[in-house]
Amino acid sequence: MKSTALIALLLLAQMIAFAQDITVSGTVRSAADNSLLSGVSVVVTGTNRGTTTNTEGRYSVTVARDAVLVFSYLGYATQEVAVNGRESVDILLQQGNNAELGEVVVTTALGIRKQQKTLGYAVQEVSGETMAKTKVPTPLSALTGKVAGLNVRNSTDLFRNPGISLRGRVPLIVIDGIPDPDADPYKINADDIESISVLKGTAAAALYGALGVNGAIMYTTKKGKKGRLNVEFNSSTMFQTGYTVVPEVQTIYGNGDQGRYAYVNGSGGGTEGGGWIWGPKLDQPDASTPSGFFETTQYNSPVDPLTGERTPLPWISRGKNNIKNFFRTGVLSTNSISASIGTDKGSFRVAANHVYQKGVVPNTGVNNSSFSIGGNYLLAPKLSMDAKLTYNREYSDNYPTIGYGPPNYLYNLILWIGPDIDIRDLENYWLPGREGLQQRNYNLSWYNNPHFIANELLNGYKRNNSFGQVTFDYRLNDDLSVKFRNGFNQYASNADVREPNSYIAYDYISRGNYSASLANYFDINTDLIVNYKHEFSDRFKINLTAGGANAYRKYESVFTTTDGLTIPGFYAVSNSINPPRSSNVRQERRTASAYGMVDIEALGFLYLSLTGRYDKTSTLPVKNNGYFYPSAGLSAVLSDVLKLPEAISFLKARGSWAKVNTGFISSGDPYAHLTTYGIGSKWNNVPSLVWPTTFISPDLVPATVQSGEYGVAVGLLKNRINLDVSYFINKDYNNFVNVTQSQASGNTSVLKNANVYLRKGWEFVVSGWPVRGSDFKWETTFNFSNVHRWLKEATDNPDGYIGQIKEGQRTDRIFISESRAPDGQAIYNSNGMQAYTPYGQYFGYSDPDWIYGWQNSFSYKNFSLNISVDGRLGGLIYSTTNQKMWWGGTAPGTVTSYRDDANAGNSTYVGPGVVITSGNIEYDSYGNIISDTRKFAPNTTAVNYISFMQTTSGAMLNNYFYYSGSYLKMRELVLTYNLPGKWMKKVFNSASVSLIGNNLFILSKMPNVDPDAESDNLQTPSMRSIGVNINLRF
Amino acid sequence: MKRYSQIFFLVFILAFLSSCSKFEDFQVNPNNPTVADPSLLLPAIERSAFSAISADAALASRYLVYTQSASNAQYYGWQRSGMGYGSITQVVKMEQEAARTGKLNYRYIGKFFRAYFIINMTQTFGDIPYSKMMQSAEFSNFSDSSAIRPPYDKQQDIYHGVLDDLKIASDSLDAGQIAIGGDIIFGGNIERWKKLVNSFTLRVLMSLSKKEADASLNIRQRFNDIVSNPSKYPLMSANNDNGQLPYYNITGNQYPYFNNNSMKTDYYLDSTFVDILQEFQDPRLFVFGKPAPASPLPATDFDAYDGLGGSAPLAYNTAKRGAGMASQIADRYSYEAINEPSVLMSYAELQFILAEAAVRGWITGDADVFYKNGIKASMRFSNFNNTYSEDDMDDYISQPGITLQPGNEIEQIITQKYISMFMNSGWQPFYEQRRTGFPEFETSGSGILNGGIIPKRWMYPTDEYNNNRVNVENAVKSQYPGGDNINGTMWILQ
Repeated sequence: MKSTALIALLLLAQMIAFAQDITVSGTVRSAADNSLLSGVSVVVTGTNRGTTTNTEGRYSVTVARDAVLVFSYLGYATQEVAVNGRESVDILLQQGNNAELGEVVVTTALGIRKQQKTLGYAVQEVSGETMAKTKVPTPLSALTGKVAGLNVRNSTDLFRNPGISLRGRVPLIVIDGIPDPDADPYKINADDIESISVLKGTAAAALYGALGVNGAIMYTTKKGKKGRLNVEFNSSTMFQTGYTVVPEVQTIYGNGDQGRYAYVNGSGGGTEGGGWIWGPKLDQPDASTPSGFFETTQYNSPVDPLTGERTPLPWISRGKNNIKNFFRTGVLSTNSISASIGTDKGSFRVAANHVYQKGVVPNTGVNNSSFSIGGNYLLAPKLSMDAKLTYNREYSDNYPTIGYGPPNYLYNLILWIGPDIDIRDLENYWLPGREGLQQRNYNLSWYNNPHFIANELLNGYKRNNSFGQVTFDYRLNDDLSVKFRNGFNQYASNADVREPNSYIAYDYISRGNYSASLANYFDINTDLIVNYKHEFSDRFKINLTAGGANAYRKYESVFTTTDGLTIPGFYAVSNSINPPRSSNVRQERRTASAYGMVDIEALGFLYLSLTGRYDKTSTLPVKNNGYFYPSAGLSAVLSDVLKLPEAISFLKARGSWAKVNTGFISSGDPYAHLTTYGIGSKWNNVPSLVWPTTFISPDLVPATVQSGEYGVAVGLLKNRINLDVSYFINKDYNNFVNVTQSQASGNTSVLKNANVYLRKGWEFVVSGWPVRGSDFKWETTFNFSNVHRWLKEATDNPDGYIGQIKEGQRTDRIFISESRAPDGQAIYNSNGMQAYTPYGQYFGYSDPDWIYGWQNSFSYKNFSLNISVDGRLGGLIYSTTNQKMWWGGTAPGTVTSYRDDANAGNSTYVGPGVVITSGNIEYDSYGNIISDTRKFAPNTTAVNYISFMQTTSGAMLNNYFYYSGSYLKMRELVLTYNLPGKWMKKVFNSASVSLIGNNLFILSKMPNVDPDAESDNLQTPSMRSIGVNINLRF
Repeated sequence: MKRYSQIFFLVFILAFLSSCSKFEDFQVNPNNPTVADPSLLLPAIERSAFSAISADAALASRYLVYTQSASNAQYYGWQRSGMGYGSITQVVKMEQEAARTGKLNYRYIGKFFRAYFIINMTQTFGDIPYSKMMQSAEFSNFSDSSAIRPPYDKQQDIYHGVLDDLKIASDSLDAGQIAIGGDIIFGGNIERWKKLVNSFTLRVLMSLSKKEADASLNIRQRFNDIVSNPSKYPLMSANNDNGQLPYYNITGNQYPYFNNNSMKTDYYLDSTFVDILQEFQDPRLFVFGKPAPASPLPATDFDAYDGLGGSAPLAYNTAKRGAGMASQIADRYSYEAINEPSVLMSYAELQFILAEAAVRGWITGDADVFYKNGIKASMRFSNFNNTYSEDDMDDYISQPGITLQPGNEIEQIITQKYISMFMNSGWQPFYEQRRTGFPEFETSGSGILNGGIIPKRWMYPTDEYNNNRVNVENAVKSQYPGGDNINGTMWILQ
């Protein structure tokens, strides 16, 4: 169906004639050694039409007879050639000192294209090409390690958003100039992206106003280009074939507690050992039993029909490979087809994409389909229009629940199952005779059968996204133009949960439930922009932009859940035992703005840009809801005016200053400035309300980020080595803060403007061409960056503290309450267990010291190899997985002789550390030690090893489960073979086959979990993906 | 052509200028109300006040032993507790809505709740903010230092204030006034509210038994004023007057430990509690616990039950449990959605208070009658699924060993009160033990923390140190020479 429509559109496009045009083709070679150059940019002056040379140095482009072609290639002098009616134009490019760095054009705020050299702030652009081959679930993940200052935290779990922070905060997502505040990373397909421009700072995104206060990630989607029909087919299939990181569990001891276990009824009580994995040793010979092994009753014991007693079964390790036996091979398959065509009057592009993910957990998967159409047309000599519409549908019948707890299959698979259980035996997950009512498992009060979870606890999600824009551009004369743009984002989503009978949650056992939440979202952004530019002389140019904008968004949702199901397994709201519970939310928000920008280019090397913006927003008290804020940026291309040593081919210094105000107190609640009752729960159907204990100040003003940014860009050795350095310092003040006060006042806090923070950081990008021969080329880019946040001023605390953080300290300090001696040794109580402090004590920092990424691209003739590695250095990550493994008894480290002693009833374990023999420690009210007269002696109290682990998790043996977040990951490896032209027989323009590897291996200090996500609350094992990409262009 | 463009463009500009809603239209949150009838505030306040079921209190009071890990409540290793002024904020809001709507009874019920929440807090910590509390909530005062950082009041002054408030509440509640709605406890029955207020006042007075000599408090007189004037100050007269919150089999309205994993596997009876119940063959043992799994005896045999050691090390307890020699808490606490109501104060407790007052000579009357009324009421309350008969109860009560023995009355009364408060009435059994020393809590095992001392209080919460530092530090200095620790002796215990 969709292919028929596509062909029809293509035919339509073909009918547009090219009366005046000719097709020019030729080869491009290096003047130095006559080698063929591939990837040379060929652009028709005055248009955005163009192409690049193929691997054999050939290009072909349809142009007007009088067109001028511009050939440019990194490291070579740009050359302009008039066609003059010729059909063949061969070019020799001179290697040379052309300031390519100065010619780079990037997309800036509001979609305005600017030369990078004119910018006073950092912008880094990532080409969509880099995402064409390697496939990850979202384009955001594809940015991992590629942008200095951008921290992408990839989840190993299926259908979860990657966490992103740019200079320590979450940036705005912009698609084709239209802000997407909802920022669903799944709604845009990587194959539709032409380029991604990352506006790193407050100054860069100042024109987006409050939304852009934390910078922006701007997607520019692909558009039709003037020229002949271009059809592209791109297909990748990746298989999750192995584990990059997988938890390793012990296989020596089974379920139970204190070395004892006997199944009674699955309640976990009594001889079942409370659900622990601290049971008897497995595979122990016992001559007195029929099997020759120790035997005890188990969940699958046959029941003697006469006595009703369970028959003991041998206690042997059937489940050594439970983790691997449960998972299956995941698949990520992406297919896209697009077609584009264009004439002098306009162009258009249509595309269809589909992404299918088969989860590694049985019965999970996600589908994601997109259709888009976009184009532009010269409606009248002075009036042009550009429009794009994308429809996207995400749908999953079931995706796994994450986080520590019974709905997560990992909770039941890694932490709370003994190797006495064979996971494959649990595939029959209903209790015989009680199908649909009672799951079958080795424990019926704490844990769910993982197969039962995968097949019966179903999280469904469907979401329809539409988004797009229409822009009219009216060019009154050469200097003056007016642009009118309307863009929108819309979605409707339906999330539902089917909860089967006997499903075990923390605080209830389900009698079946069905819940559904429906949501509708719509936003529209309208901009009217007037632009005037004038060149007074070569040495003085001015560009004025003035605009008005209106942004409106609306969100509505309804949530309904049953309270029990009358008919088991019939998932409908009307099947509820008690009356269903429902709630709904309606939200609207509006912002109106006026803004202006002045760009001045002076003396041929100085670029000054000033912006100002006035916002009026519905999210503040009316008396303070209008506010103005400015920014300024200066760039000086010193290499254009100074006589520099020959080695320095380009030198630019830049600086910018901005102040951006935001009136959005909460991104999720446009009414956060209004005090209302909260809706309480019902008691026996009697309704209730609760008055908030946070008082909202009527004098709220916008929060402000004041940013200073300084940078240098240097090109060395004819720009073969390039270096870009940025330093920024952001002052966040007038923050919207719940300032706490004594709860005895009747209010626990006041929402007001308070506190001052500083965010400071460095960003480095080094790139270059270590090898640039005619056949073999190696391009490399290395970036690293950091950002930290300090408390500058605690405006409402007379002692200068917020919690335990004092003015001048970093805000990512970690405090632990386990008591430690000054030398770091654990302190024990008289009972031999870990002692605790009344105030948390400083333990380390959570932010990474540095994040880094290194991209390499090698090419040799028709082969190219791309290797991308990245990682972080420093920063502590708390690991719930490891803590629970030690606590529950599945950690391999718990296999010790002490454990055997405990199983035999002996208390032999002495926790490493000290006890206090005399003296005292005193703290001030913020937990600082003001006097410490304690004397210590080694701890000598022997305790039961199992009790010790159940009480302390052995935290002191494992750095209290804070692990260094440092890692190096082999993120992507792509080996591409570009088919030689002679094979294509004019069927294809180009064709390539690639072998792809993703997430291939990791070096890290953290056991059992992948530190990529920068947090661990029981994560899916990190999988290695290997696959193939095929790219065909017709 | 050019004209078309211009017209077209004019349309854009008009479209842009004619924007949608005004900013003022967004200044109302359509999802939540801003004014309400006081009846909508009452349920949440009642839920908070009447939710009095705490497994930690049961561990600290030697009813139960926890086997999942070493519990700080059980081994007396606890540190801080939290304050509950947020509930009083709701009371303030209810009083304001009552004033706005002219519904006075809510105001007096509000006085009871203020008193109840304040007593809970002062029992936990000692001195707390009282006379200057709620200034921000009541008067929107966010500027005065004494409003946002209220000073601490002496415990004796707090008791004065609370007793006066309770008297006003009792004197002023009026069935002739506009009825109260949203009452999930007494269904708006003002008479039963009065009974609860008066009975609760007696509990407060009894908690001051160490201050009998304090002339300004004059607790004997206050006690007598109530007991001697039943028409003006009615008291609870049967179990159905209990101040209690019933549970329902609706999600969120169920017994708090219903289907609770931990309650199903990790809570066992304490052997000292089992001993108390076994001594006189108390049939309540059958509704509090389950027989030890390894015991071959029937569930109705008292010897089928055994407990774990509250102060014994965890390994001892888990091993004894693993051997099937320990009685778990009865199934009803985790498998029954409704189980039993949560009791703020029961008729049984009132009877025990009256018995103690009679023994102490505060009132006239036969202590033994009050005491046996209390036992009977408690046994009826706990008789889940009619496990035992009226005859069983009478047999138990009529034993000579149960009858009050001269010189031992207080211990017997408090012990019976203790039994009656199993998994109910919040921390009251712990406070009664703290006041009277009965029953003796066993601390000799090697698992015990805090040097084997039963704590007398909790440390003040960190949020007070962060937000009200000077006042809380002064309060500590004036009360506890040893600093803010769990062994300090507050005024009511001196």
